[in-house]
Amino acid sequence: MKRDLQKVRNIGISAHIDSGKTTLTERILFYTQRIHAIHEVRGKDGVGATMDSMELEKERGITIQSAATYCSWKDYDINIIDTPGHVDFTIEVERALRVLDGAVLILCSVGGVQSQSITVNRQMTRYKVPRIAFINKCDRTGANPYRVTQQLRDKLDLNAIMVQLPIGLESELEGIVDLVTMKAVYFDGDQGENIRIEEIPDHLKDEAEEKREELLDAVSMFSDELMEVILEEGTPSEEMIHEAIRKGTLSLELAPVMIGSAYKNKGVQLLLDAVNAYLPTPTEIENTALDLDKDEQEVLVTNNPDDSLVVLAFKLEDGRYAQLTYVRTYQGVLRKGDTIVNSRTGKKVKIGRLVRMHADQMEEIEEAGSGDIIALFGVDCASGDTFCGDGINISMSSMHVPAPVISLAINPVDNKAQVNMSKALNRFSKEDPTFKSFVDHETSETIVSGMGELHLEVYIERMKREYQAEVEVGAPRVAYRETITQRAEFNYTHKKQTGGSGQFGRVAGYMEPLEEGEYEFVDKIVGGVIPREFISSCDKGFKKSFQKGTLTGSPLTGIQVVINDGSYHAVDSSDVAFQLASVGAFKEGFAKASPVIMEPIMKVAVEGPSEFQGAVMGSLNQRRGVIVGTFEEGNYTVVEAEMPLAEMFGYSTTLRSLTQGKAEFTMEFSTYKQVPKSVADELVKAYQDEKKN
Amino acid sequence: MGYEPLVNKNLLRVLKAGTENGREMGLVMARAGLGKTALLVQIALDSILQGNRVIHVSIGESIEKTRAWYDDILRHILQEHSVSRPHELIDMVQHHRMIMTFKEAAFNRPRLEERLNELIMQDIFKPSCLVIDGYDFENADRESLEDLREMAETMSLQVWFSAVCHRNDDRVSAAGVPAPCHELDELFDTVVLIKPEENKISLNIIKIKGKVPESDVGLDLDPTTMMIKKS
Repeated sequence: MKRDLQKVRNIGISAHIDSGKTTLTERILFYTQRIHAIHEVRGKDGVGATMDSMELEKERGITIQSAATYCSWKDYDINIIDTPGHVDFTIEVERALRVLDGAVLILCSVGGVQSQSITVNRQMTRYKVPRIAFINKCDRTGANPYRVTQQLRDKLDLNAIMVQLPIGLESELEGIVDLVTMKAVYFDGDQGENIRIEEIPDHLKDEAEEKREELLDAVSMFSDELMEVILEEGTPSEEMIHEAIRKGTLSLELAPVMIGSAYKNKGVQLLLDAVNAYLPTPTEIENTALDLDKDEQEVLVTNNPDDSLVVLAFKLEDGRYAQLTYVRTYQGVLRKGDTIVNSRTGKKVKIGRLVRMHADQMEEIEEAGSGDIIALFGVDCASGDTFCGDGINISMSSMHVPAPVISLAINPVDNKAQVNMSKALNRFSKEDPTFKSFVDHETSETIVSGMGELHLEVYIERMKREYQAEVEVGAPRVAYRETITQRAEFNYTHKKQTGGSGQFGRVAGYMEPLEEGEYEFVDKIVGGVIPREFISSCDKGFKKSFQKGTLTGSPLTGIQVVINDGSYHAVDSSDVAFQLASVGAFKEGFAKASPVIMEPIMKVAVEGPSEFQGAVMGSLNQRRGVIVGTFEEGNYTVVEAEMPLAEMFGYSTTLRSLTQGKAEFTMEFSTYKQVPKSVADELVKAYQDEKKN
Repeated sequence: MGYEPLVNKNLLRVLKAGTENGREMGLVMARAGLGKTALLVQIALDSILQGNRVIHVSIGESIEKTRAWYDDILRHILQEHSVSRPHELIDMVQHHRMIMTFKEAAFNRPRLEERLNELIMQDIFKPSCLVIDGYDFENADRESLEDLREMAETMSLQVWFSAVCHRNDDRVSAAGVPAPCHELDELFDTVVLIKPEENKISLNIIKIKGKVPESDVGLDLDPTTMMIKKS
């Protein structure tokens, strides 16, 4: 069966926590007859809403939160892709944004544009995702969709235009005026499933006329035809207006605003109509990939089912149905039994089962056409991998994977936990490329690193809950280095006489700071005062000293060692003797060379509403940061600073409380810089105390 | 610190500008692409080398690009003048300079003043010099510029602007300040015009410390660093 791509929608629903995403998704699945009863998310004050939705999921075993859920509305196929909202999971969010073609941005009619809406909106802008806004909870006290629409313009810089009006607000919310059809829409029945269309109530007629004018004004920019009709003072047809709204939405220059209350079953069906009408088909979005055979040249994927297959695995899930790999096809047709090639590893994979994920079940399918989102069983890959068919070798444009910035040591409490922990770590690092783990051989601890404290916390929590791996968590750690700031000489003799053959070696020379590079060894020995065969022993000895500095026990960097003198003993000199002599020589020289501690400096960018700029700068300044610059656009600000990593622990919490959660920050490694004296003294003291104990 | 040769080579020494405590408005004019930004950076560096702090306001430009101007010019300077500890100089510049960039529409006096006050009150950064690059003189009204001048006075700031003039716009003020600033020239104490000549850039001093120089005063600058050319 060939699917009509014109009737496929791959959408995301994203929202600030507690804007009613779960409730809305429930309603959508109910009206599209994917589920047959509506279960509420409890907790009227909203405090427990997210928790409730998880519980709900467990209880019902449905996959509201699964990576993609399929439903169909008025013979359009809609794939709803879950988009996690938190900043610490940007890679997940961005991956989800990559596979969806359009989005519904849910806002609370009371809370309005909140921090996450800002973040998600910016990500959508970056990935050029057309969007519809849905102002939910119009039944709540204090609901004001007009204000929220204005916020969409001011705070999100969207050309937000209301295409509906509420009939009554708060507890009086009765229905919705559709400004395109100029009709009042009521939602009857216990679950609002019966739509009743009537004339607009008299008291709203004037307002509706006025708002319709505004709507036509805004959308006529996108359609010459509509513009003409309006200029000739004719009445534009509904199709014409829909078409203009659609054009505006696709060009990202317009964001139609829908309203309603998912909880009160109002407006959801109209939102689904809008998804069909205004959001793009898979073919209307340009997707690029990198041609691995042509030096990663950018190529457009065609969406053509007759072309060779291109599939992106965007999410792995270890769910009830064993391992599922969610994929999106970009061109070609994926068929059961096909053999496809993972373009990252070059491995061939045979497709066993193809399924379409519904809310409470899954449907086995034989094939999936381009633009489709489905799940595969038993495919071993990492998320973000591309699979290709015959004759091509491309990778969907590589998404920028930021390097981890924070690490923690974790120790399993018992053997069982040890086994489970390895399983979990293996799984997580496959699912999330920003999460890494390795074993520190010096301490034999397992170190996990990721994008932020919260990021790691969530994984540790998941380890406990999903894998029953109880672990002890160490304090987050910074990787310090040590180096020298001036030239110093050394002349060290290693002598040991303990019966039998002794040990003897003398090494002399100097060390000096190296502008670039970690370690350099220069041999300037003349006249064989240190025999050839022991020169490499000296090198080894110095290298060994580099692993641990004397100040904090951190590795050394940026030092050149020159040896130019020494002496040996015909019998007592040996490889070991010269290694030890070099270790001693290094210690001697290092102490005289004004050693300093270096710390990683991060490039930090804090983004958020301008009103918090002062507070943000103050917080960075307090943490030994150097503010490089600021950028302001509209009501949105970026502050860029260079910050010592050591001072960034707990910053996400500080920032959140400082800005009511409206600002977020990113950081990446920039360089190593000398630690100020006062801080260095503390570090040395702490190291010495640690050694004593 | 061994930066004297750099300080002495700075054109501001010749202009004798920027030596007193603030309250001065300067203007650098040139046709597009002749080095207005470079000259502003040089003005900023001069202030920094004397231990002052500078805010570089860039309108319509990114932090990164503005920063790159400093890095480039510093690199050129370090190539031509040996300094004993180049890293210290680079660090010093970083610690004494802050970049503020605004999208065109987001720049206005209240906002700038609010930002400056936040920095000063929290003791984060107290500038004595402000360079403003990319101010839209074409569409600026006199009032907003007077406003900025007043702000500079109350905050004891030295402020330098850059403005683009056009080849085919020959409007000029009595003092010789070309459009688009020809009607605003009395708001500036010092106005210099960058002129290209073969292999060099010459600086035409139209007005200095509020006075029009008696004879034609000009300086030759090194086009890469905007420092005074060795004679």
